[in-house]
Amino acid sequence: MASVTLSNVQKSYGSLGVIHGVRLSIEDGEFIALVGPSGCGKSTLLRMIAGLEEITEGDVLIGGKVVNELTPRERNIAMVFQSYALYPHMTVAENMGFNLRLSGASKPVIAERVNEAARMLDLVPLLDRKPAQLSGGQRQRVAMGRAVVRNPAVFLFDEPLSNLDAKLRVQMRSEIKTLHQKVGTTSIYVTHDQIEAMTLADRIVVLNQGRVEQEGTPMELYKTPANLFVAAFIGSPAMNILDGTVDGGGGEAAARLGDGTAIRIAPDRKVKRGQAIKIGLRPEHLSPGTGGTALAGRTLLVEPTGAQTHVVFDLAGQPVTAIVDGEYPARYGARFEANIPAEQVHVFDRDSGVAL
Amino acid sequence: MTETGSSIRMSAGTKIYLYVSLTIIAAVVVVPLLTTALGGFKTLGDLRINPFGLPAEWQWSNYTDILFGDRYWRQMMNSLIIATLTVFLTVSVAAMAAFTFAHVRFFGSNFLLNYFLIGLMFPAATAILPLFIRIRDLGLLNTYWGVVLPQVAFGLGMSILLFRNYFRNLPEELFQAAFVDGCGYMRFFWHVTLPLSRPIIATVAIVSFVASWNSYILPLIMLNSESIYPWPLGIMVYRGEFGTEWQLVLAFITLTILPTIIVFFLAQKHIIAGLTAGAVKS
Repeated sequence: MASVTLSNVQKSYGSLGVIHGVRLSIEDGEFIALVGPSGCGKSTLLRMIAGLEEITEGDVLIGGKVVNELTPRERNIAMVFQSYALYPHMTVAENMGFNLRLSGASKPVIAERVNEAARMLDLVPLLDRKPAQLSGGQRQRVAMGRAVVRNPAVFLFDEPLSNLDAKLRVQMRSEIKTLHQKVGTTSIYVTHDQIEAMTLADRIVVLNQGRVEQEGTPMELYKTPANLFVAAFIGSPAMNILDGTVDGGGGEAAARLGDGTAIRIAPDRKVKRGQAIKIGLRPEHLSPGTGGTALAGRTLLVEPTGAQTHVVFDLAGQPVTAIVDGEYPARYGARFEANIPAEQVHVFDRDSGVAL
Repeated sequence: MTETGSSIRMSAGTKIYLYVSLTIIAAVVVVPLLTTALGGFKTLGDLRINPFGLPAEWQWSNYTDILFGDRYWRQMMNSLIIATLTVFLTVSVAAMAAFTFAHVRFFGSNFLLNYFLIGLMFPAATAILPLFIRIRDLGLLNTYWGVVLPQVAFGLGMSILLFRNYFRNLPEELFQAAFVDGCGYMRFFWHVTLPLSRPIIATVAIVSFVASWNSYILPLIMLNSESIYPWPLGIMVYRGEFGTEWQLVLAFITLTILPTIIVFFLAQKHIIAGLTAGAVKS
């Protein structure tokens, strides 16, 4: 186990920069998720930590030691790949023990470590099978077993669940979390799925175009997004973003939408009268009949999910999603009214996107 | 592959057309082979009167005389030694070279690859004179190596191409996983690439085996004594000896091509799998 530090890490292919000076320190035993849309550089960053990609500028430190020039093996990291990358010609046991075999461990030692990992991951009955005879979830577990066996300083996960179906993904997600709680190894997890990041990670790093937009605990990112990008990225369904202008002042500040609707905003927001802003309303905060500003419009779409229903309604000419109880009688075309308390209204500068 | 084909329904006319045309093509291949094999069972007179039919009287002795003599076995053994050496060298050298071209990026790799592929462009026969002089200078005339080495050299182009395409289609993440597990290029080649490349190894081995087995011009130029002649040269000598006794020549030819046919039937699955490997993403 070890801490991982990235100090001003940069990556460019020729003149094209893809990672622009990332600084990050990861505590020993922490579970960090790197999230961002595809092409944001999260996988590249992970591969730079792994030693599969050269570092153009800056340093990667594992356990306080600069590892820029070391091979993945010397860095003592283990990686779980999106496609699992199991060796097709080896049995599960051979796959898991391959790295120990390469390092010259004796057969009894290999067998013992493999069995230990197999017990932990429920793989004992599968040890003699080939990867082709396993289901997707089982392959995923073998890939994790291969990582656990070597007892590495850092686990790296590169979108490990994206090849699984939705149900299995949820199940494997909890297995990864359980595994981390058992072994406590520092883990870095790359995903484009913010729910995976929120549920698994101690701390989330949101990346966009090779830059860190924000880092923090899942709740920090959810409650106080630093900018529009993070606000729109975290949370599902996504936050509703509306254009507005600041009206009123002091304790009575409000955002006025295009059609004149006013939405009260919390008095501690640093806004000026007449300032062009964007406001963010989380669907789960828009609920009928509670306190705060009342917003109303025609219902455009009703999506029941069982316990809850997603209602899309028209507000100042833009579609806005709200989450209501599954029993709520929403109907297409009918008038829908929801309330939002002033402190739940997120406010961003329209030009810079920074939270106010 | 076959599953999709069987689900397409064909009209009776198409079926008849298919079977008739396939039968004709099969006949074009099979009739000369059968004529040769059956001709070996006939007497010379029978062969003259009735070249295509069944023998009037089966002359087993034509075959048994050859099989119990040492000439046939000596030639088979020579051919086998030359072919085995050729296959072993071609597969090991081509696989290593192709692995390098597929995985290691280095200055001039494209140029070097093209240089190897020039071997595809012309047959050994065109370079026979310089080849002869070189082999003579190396002192390898009238030895197995004098035939094996040029055969390997001319076979490398095609073999490297086949291997390289196959290696490049192995998933990239497999290499990265092995790298993380502590493999260098050597160990990756040995522990991961080779075990996964059985179909292409079989293909290259069979292709180069057959090429060597049937090779005529190189042994003709490089070898002088009959004791190390492979079978194509042996047939030539045999025909010189039994020039008018066609039934013996036919029996001899039948027996010499038999091993190739047997090998092909045993390995055809691998050959076809290897040649089409990577053509369709599985």
